[in-house]
Amino acid sequence: MEMTEISKLAELRKLMQSMERTLGLEELSPVERDIYYAAEELSKTDAEVRTYGLIEHTLVQNVSRPTFFRALKSLVQKGYLSHSGNANRGRYVVNTPR
Amino acid sequence: MRSWATDTLFASLAYIAASLLTFWVLMPLQNVFFPEYPSRASLLFLPHGVRVLSAWLLGWRAIPALFPGVFIVFAILGGTDVFLPSRLMAILIAITTAPAVFYILKWAGWDLLPAKGRAPCWACIMGVGVITSILVSILTNWVFGSSTSEYVAFLIGDVSGLLFLMFGLYFAFRFVDRRA
Repeated sequence: MEMTEISKLAELRKLMQSMERTLGLEELSPVERDIYYAAEELSKTDAEVRTYGLIEHTLVQNVSRPTFFRALKSLVQKGYLSHSGNANRGRYVVNTPR
Repeated sequence: MRSWATDTLFASLAYIAASLLTFWVLMPLQNVFFPEYPSRASLLFLPHGVRVLSAWLLGWRAIPALFPGVFIVFAILGGTDVFLPSRLMAILIAITTAPAVFYILKWAGWDLLPAKGRAPCWACIMGVGVITSILVSILTNWVFGSSTSEYVAFLIGDVSGLLFLMFGLYFAFRFVDRRA
């Protein structure tokens, strides 16, 4: 397989991510951390956290929409947030970090 | 052609840097902290990590890519002895064993080389590092006639070198991410 320089770098990064996951070194990005803190705070008053509640939170105010949704998706993938069992989309439950 | 030149430049530079760090910094420190340690082998042999990761990333192209770097390191350490048949054979062993292990495993049905849509397995690459280290020790012993007790020292140095190199890369990526 002929790989470009960028794909070689990407493969190395994927390898490091695999090590990160196995060894539990996974870390949240600053935006992910802010969203998680905001979600944790909001979850104290309501078991479920709504997307619009998160977007309006002071910690997340300066984050662009695309970055916000990317970080939100990543938090769900990493298990810090999970979609609420409720049929209504845009609601999340905060999980304790592993 | 440009890609080949870039691969050779980076792989060889990485090998030279890892070797100089091992022989000029880590081994003197090892001699200070473990003066009673009898072996000449390094307990943290970073070049092994460069060999294994280059072989994983470049496949058989790691052989020509690493050759200039390994040759220069042998020349720095051994001077003109680098042209002795035993040294040339040791260079050949150093650059061919890791790619050979990856391809033998691939033929055996366990393909660890990077591919689109395949998640890399770092623990498997560590396993390849262990197999490669054992093979390099056996083959080098066959060429140089080192004592069997050195095998364990080589294995410890190689595996810890690969692990530390991976951690080094991991923290380097994290540092770059933070700066970005």
